[in-house]
Amino acid sequence: MQLTGNHVVEASPAKVWALLMDTDTLARIVPGVTKLEKIDDTTFKSTLGVKLGPVSAAFNGNLQMENVMEEKGFTLKIQQNSKVGNASAAIEISLTPLEETKTAIAFNGDVKLSGMLATMGQRLIGGVANTLSKQFFSNMEKELLP
Amino acid sequence: MSTTHGLIGKSVKRVEDRRFITGHGKYTDDIILPGQTYASFVRSPYAHAKILSVDTNAAASMPGVVAIFTGADVENVNGVPCGWQVNFKNGHHMKEPKHPLLVADKAKHVGDAIAIVIAESQAEAVDAAEAIVVEYEELPAIVDASKAVEDGAPQVHDSAPNNICFDWALGNPIEEVDAAIAASAHVTTLDFVNQRLVPNAIEPRAYNASYDQYNDKYTLYTSTQNPHLIRLLMCAFVLGIPEHRVRVVGPDVGGGFGSKIFHYTEEALLTWCTHKLRRPVKWTSTRSESFLLDAHGRDHITKADMGFDASGNITALRVKTYANLGAYLSTFASCVPSYLHGTLLQGLYTTPKINIDLVAVFTNTTAVDAYRGAGRPEATYLLERLLDLAAHEMNMDPAELRFKNFIPPFDGVTQPGYQTQVALQYDSGNYHGVLEKGLAMLGYEDFRKAQKEAANNGKLLGVGFSTYIEACGIAPSAVVGSLGARAGLYEVGHVRVQPSGKISVYTGAHSHGQGHETTFAQVVADKLGLPMEDVEIVHGDSEAVAFGMGTYGSRSLAVGGSAIIKSLEKVIEKGKKIAAHKFEANPEDVDFVEGRFVVKGTHHSAPFSDIALRAYVPHHYPAGLEPGLDFSSFYDPANFTYPFGCHIAVVEVDKETGKVQLTRFVAVDDVGNIINPMIVEGQIHGGVVQGVGQALFEGAEYDENGQLTNGSYMDYCMPRADDFPMIETASQVTPCPHNPLGVKGAGEAGCIGSTPAVVNAVIDALWSGGHKVKDIRMPLTSERVWRAMQQ
Amino acid sequence: MSIRINVTVNGVAFSHEVEPRLLLVNYLRDVLRLTGTHVGCDTSSCGACTIHVNGKATKSCTMLAVQADGCEITTIEGIAPSDDELHPLQEGFRECHGLQCGFCTPGMIMTAADILQNNPNPSEEEIRVGLEGNFCRCTGYHNIVKSVQYAAHKMKEVTV
Repeated sequence: MQLTGNHVVEASPAKVWALLMDTDTLARIVPGVTKLEKIDDTTFKSTLGVKLGPVSAAFNGNLQMENVMEEKGFTLKIQQNSKVGNASAAIEISLTPLEETKTAIAFNGDVKLSGMLATMGQRLIGGVANTLSKQFFSNMEKELLP
Repeated sequence: MSTTHGLIGKSVKRVEDRRFITGHGKYTDDIILPGQTYASFVRSPYAHAKILSVDTNAAASMPGVVAIFTGADVENVNGVPCGWQVNFKNGHHMKEPKHPLLVADKAKHVGDAIAIVIAESQAEAVDAAEAIVVEYEELPAIVDASKAVEDGAPQVHDSAPNNICFDWALGNPIEEVDAAIAASAHVTTLDFVNQRLVPNAIEPRAYNASYDQYNDKYTLYTSTQNPHLIRLLMCAFVLGIPEHRVRVVGPDVGGGFGSKIFHYTEEALLTWCTHKLRRPVKWTSTRSESFLLDAHGRDHITKADMGFDASGNITALRVKTYANLGAYLSTFASCVPSYLHGTLLQGLYTTPKINIDLVAVFTNTTAVDAYRGAGRPEATYLLERLLDLAAHEMNMDPAELRFKNFIPPFDGVTQPGYQTQVALQYDSGNYHGVLEKGLAMLGYEDFRKAQKEAANNGKLLGVGFSTYIEACGIAPSAVVGSLGARAGLYEVGHVRVQPSGKISVYTGAHSHGQGHETTFAQVVADKLGLPMEDVEIVHGDSEAVAFGMGTYGSRSLAVGGSAIIKSLEKVIEKGKKIAAHKFEANPEDVDFVEGRFVVKGTHHSAPFSDIALRAYVPHHYPAGLEPGLDFSSFYDPANFTYPFGCHIAVVEVDKETGKVQLTRFVAVDDVGNIINPMIVEGQIHGGVVQGVGQALFEGAEYDENGQLTNGSYMDYCMPRADDFPMIETASQVTPCPHNPLGVKGAGEAGCIGSTPAVVNAVIDALWSGGHKVKDIRMPLTSERVWRAMQQ
Repeated sequence: MSIRINVTVNGVAFSHEVEPRLLLVNYLRDVLRLTGTHVGCDTSSCGACTIHVNGKATKSCTMLAVQADGCEITTIEGIAPSDDELHPLQEGFRECHGLQCGFCTPGMIMTAADILQNNPNPSEEEIRVGLEGNFCRCTGYHNIVKSVQYAAHKMKEVTV
């Protein structure tokens, strides 16, 4: 499944970048994160709770950042496992400065689901992904408030 | 109800109903044995993945866990076999990769079993299964059969290059067919998909295996359509345990539709486990598992060309098909797209040249096998879609086009059977008759007027035809043997006359909705002139019934019923000897009339019960004659039977939304002689709705990673009560000339005839609105129909 | 952890300690051994498990046993007036060949009973719409609709 979207936030790319690079903040703004642990500069271990219609699941797995370009973007590789199936994704995230204090954040990637997540959740995941990304950006905006 | 003769042809109410309507049916999941344990499986969430490790440590110490087995434990156990060997065109045997009871190295479809957990309760088994950690390395998956054969496609089995199980051809030489197509005045071509279906018997598969070590005796309760066949396959091919030590019982079974014919890995695995554990092991599939594991149906990708001369006579048919077999070869998977499909491409027509070229392919999907109709719906869909489309293209009437091409009527007695171009010889047929009757029931001329009027008012009405034939009464053993079947397909009928004259009949056919306990009792009571209450039908237990091949391919009455008739004839013949002795007459002078043995031309007669008692209390008895009145017979049919019929669908298509409403459905079926019209009609109703389900609602959808994306009833659209009008049925009777009852079989007819009728009707509706659409992919959802109208 | 529940099933009072996660359908089937109520799916879609809870048709796989505490339950085993009699719907299903394999039948009858309770004189369409939460793979629904019509007619005769 393709996951694409973009959002404009009232902050400079530098500020947004700093926020994305901070584990504690990320753990606060990514919806469903119950635990985020930094392994090294580009690898995190995570525990997530997500509800997909009738299926709700606790995910364990890794988040990995690749192709990191300071203040410009990175590719987020996700491998998450749960009892109802696994999810993996590679999502390109890019930051584009619009004005001094305005940044466009775009994301584009492919999500693969397996197991019961795929047989029962597929129909719902588009909507859930939309909701989660909206929550993510609104959480981010809250963090960016002075 | 206690009438004697004249039971055949009566809509007798079913004797089995009492237990079902009161909630006292006994299905496999209803059975709990002393010391019962419960199984749950760890299954691959990936369609194609290497198994790197399986960690059962945490699970093993969880509460209630009795045992855990993984692929490594059953490495030396055989896999489940395929029952039909098809050869490549070059004569080599088809590829038969092992289908292991648990996979150790590589998962080949979502749901492939990696470990089994056995626990004291179902919940504990599920909990522990969730605690097993499997490490996978995901591999690219292949889903589409036509792409799976390309070089570089992911390989499901190393032993099957290009994922090809076998290739196969049948009919006239391809050069002749090509030439005939090239010389045709008109050629209708159709590229289409006969989509994958999930059988969805409402009772999920269930097994309960136990082992009595003190008597060295296994018992397997299984939701199967053929207990003896399961016993044979499991004992001889998988586990290597002696058949006489194994009792297989198929108790009440909640629908099969083909999906419960096959020998599944869980049956053998549970039997293997119970021997290890010395405790009964039970597993009932969840619906989610059923979607992933019960063998699916259809899944053909086909290109077909039908040639016509200038006046509309069919000149030739050329078919190229990719058949998706899924990840493993299921029990009859190989014969469905070949011998049950290619051989039916003559249809009801005099087509002089026919060729089918088939490639059967492995993919990372659930196994595909026989599903109600099995191959014959695929053939019928292909032919009937081509016929209606050709009529549109040539601006001819689709009914006229059929009349022009029908094989003329033949009774198979005074006129010979009809030899097709694709190996079969039809037994008897009157194809004009069913179409004429269907047209009359529909009021065809009036419909066409109404359709024109509707089109002028911006409404889209359509009518679709399907005149089908099927090969049933499966099957003459020598014939199927020469084609690769690894079993005979006769049936066993055992009639035990009790000393009091009551009758117990043991049949190898298995009833899972067909009503054998009624129909077979009708036949027996009628032949013996007894009330039906005096007859009991026993089936489904390998310990009670000597042997049997089970129920599929609309064979129970045609083959199983005939075996019973053979035994009844032996009973009557022996009865005549006993009666003759009693009346000091010659056996040749004794008739059996209305339930009495009568000495011709005298007033001497004895009721059946009197002779039965004499057989068991042989005080005054013919010298040299064995006591008892108990006969078993094997009946091997001389030919297949060939039911046929005409199905007509009327639909209304919403121009704005593309929504299809089925407004009428007319079914005229000729299934030969009819024992119980009520039951036959019920079979037709059910088959029609299942076939319409394929046309309008159902279809398994895989994503490119091999995930079944509609694997639940929330996503897979089942036909529901409010999707249908009342179905208008009628019958024509052309008896089968080669079995004693003259019956042809009715179980699959509805499902074979209905699908193309509905799709043809939708296409017809679209043409009436000026949309010259050739094909819409099934199921015909509103979106697909709407899109077709926008082109 | 177990929780005690008290339920009346088919007129008989029961009291059991049950796990909180036990579904009502499993309580009926595995604890009370009333196996006429069937399980056909795991998404509350097929209706094979339909029973009456306090007089209303309910899919018993959608309810936990603990939620049934204090409830009056009727299953297929208890819908007939007595062991030797049939409910008009049971009779209708037999008379009209409204069943084949019998697996969906108990749920169908329990749902149909609810339909007729609310609407003693339903049209064909009302019956079909009322049954759309119950799957049957055998009959094509044709004879099930007729069975319900038969029962509706019969029940009117009785009350007149």
